[in-house]
Amino acid sequence: MNAGTSLAAIAVVVLSTVLIAVHGLRLSRTTGDFYVASRTVRPWWNASAIGGEYLSAASFLGIAGLIVVSGQDALWFPIGYTAGYLMLLLFVAAPLRRSGAYTLPDFAQIRLGSRVARLVTSVLVVMVGWLYIVPQLHGAALTLGITTGLPGWLGAGLVMAVVCLTVLAGGMRSITFVQAFQFWLKLGALAVPTVFMLLQLGVAGRSPTGNGLAFDLPPAAIGSSGIYGTISLIVALLFGTLGLPHVLVRFYTNPDGPSARRTTAIVLGLLSVFYLFPTVLGVLGRLHLPELALAGNADATVLLLPERIVGGTAGNLLTAVVIGGAFAAFMSTTSGLVVSLAGVMSQDLFGGTVRGFRYATVLASVIPLLLALGTSTLALAGAIGSVFAFTASTLCPLLLLGIWWRRLTAAGAVAGMLTGAVGCAAAMAAASLVPGLSGLAREVAVQPAAWTVPLAFLVTVVVSLATAGQTSRTTTAVMTRLHAPERAAPVPPRP
Amino acid sequence: MTGPGTPPPAGRPPAAGRVRVTAPEGAPLGLARRRAADDPAAEFYVRSLIRSQLRLSLSVALGFLLLLLCLAVVVAAWPQIHAIRILTIPLPWIVLGIGVYPIILLGAFLYNRASARYEARYRDVTGE
Repeated sequence: MNAGTSLAAIAVVVLSTVLIAVHGLRLSRTTGDFYVASRTVRPWWNASAIGGEYLSAASFLGIAGLIVVSGQDALWFPIGYTAGYLMLLLFVAAPLRRSGAYTLPDFAQIRLGSRVARLVTSVLVVMVGWLYIVPQLHGAALTLGITTGLPGWLGAGLVMAVVCLTVLAGGMRSITFVQAFQFWLKLGALAVPTVFMLLQLGVAGRSPTGNGLAFDLPPAAIGSSGIYGTISLIVALLFGTLGLPHVLVRFYTNPDGPSARRTTAIVLGLLSVFYLFPTVLGVLGRLHLPELALAGNADATVLLLPERIVGGTAGNLLTAVVIGGAFAAFMSTTSGLVVSLAGVMSQDLFGGTVRGFRYATVLASVIPLLLALGTSTLALAGAIGSVFAFTASTLCPLLLLGIWWRRLTAAGAVAGMLTGAVGCAAAMAAASLVPGLSGLAREVAVQPAAWTVPLAFLVTVVVSLATAGQTSRTTTAVMTRLHAPERAAPVPPRP
Repeated sequence: MTGPGTPPPAGRPPAAGRVRVTAPEGAPLGLARRRAADDPAAEFYVRSLIRSQLRLSLSVALGFLLLLLCLAVVVAAWPQIHAIRILTIPLPWIVLGIGVYPIILLGAFLYNRASARYEARYRDVTGE
């Protein structure tokens, strides 16, 4: 591996990110610009930005790695990541845009009229954000370590520093440009090497699948997950997407409800195309890099494949392209999370000013960096799966019932969120702390979503019904606002 | 959103030519009542809009979830399906790796169209 080309690729991505952020700074002037880009972002831009933000280390490196390790079971991850957006489209996109809230805690307050519900939501959003950033930084550490031999913490520190600076410089407006750019960068960084490697194999007369051998290799993991594990994973991924703070904040940048729906549909198309490539790379990895699964380093599959299959200068260049894309993935997801966390924290801690947003940005960056440096790398796709399970059991009931059920009360929402959080945290603690778990008991602990999500919904509904007298007085007005279409008048002309 | 021309909040006034901007504070967050929320007829129309939208979303979601569940069960309960291959690729890999995505897109497209139709009907009825 040529460390020089790798470092050059990282430098190019970092510099172009900073340049685009600075360009965006000239357009960013008011608090509205900082938080939600003044709601003037077009669906295609916004969809690219959402895709850019969403495709994290888990998508870019983790899926191919997981396919190498566990084969066919891993295909459920990209399905869940994509179908989560279908759920978002069906239940959340347009009403959330119309709610007029900046952040999820704003939504809780508008809908429930309760400071307590707002505070609990804020705390959960910040926790989800931090937990989601940590695997991105682990991915950065892995990439830098494996491709250049430099110590991994440098990679994590570099990503966090660049993200912190770009967010400080431009806020959301520049982030939208950065994210949109990074989606196409990531897609290209996987598509070009994939096509090149397939061509190389084709020219050499070798079957890309090893005449089907790639699919026959047994899973190297502890054994493929059973039907419970698969269903629980699907529940977590489908409903976890609904509550992800960096995803939600994007919807406020659409001009109106219908454009929020259009944006989401475009995102689905973008994701469907993108996920073809990690899947193909995973299959190639099963054939050409099976030893990574045993070494516990499968997340490096995408990074090492070009060198293994193509080799030489071309292999080096392709590796550099992949590394650039990987860093784009870490930075875009991390910056999206930092923006949304800073938005939440600055509203609740610093009075919602631009200066408060900047303090909050630093806070939102430093803490996950410390967490990442203090913990060891897990399998990326699995780590992200746990965050999805947590989000699905906490923030998803608030959103879904808040948007669609008039009788939701603040007490019900808070009770549901706390139940989901405690249940999920207990399951994950049991999975990592209790050694003797095996079989179904282990799966129930590792993949808790199938029981924590229904439980959280149930508690929310039961407590809401028990406190039926306490629905927010503005419920009817808010429900009207969420669901009634915008007046036809202020539609800006298409450019 | 505070725009240019709005008086700055209390405290030290900003320098000439600059406008201090802050996020809206407190509970209302710009919750101006849109349309006559107190008007029973208007509320009836909104309620029926919400009901039809929810029914639409639920049917698309349940249909899709059922499809996923069937796929998961078939793949888990019938391992021989692995032997059916197209261009050396086993059928479950093709269905899960490629085939599901066009279905997701189709669902999204149909949902968007139907949802916009409901809203157009609401606009017609309420005369907006």
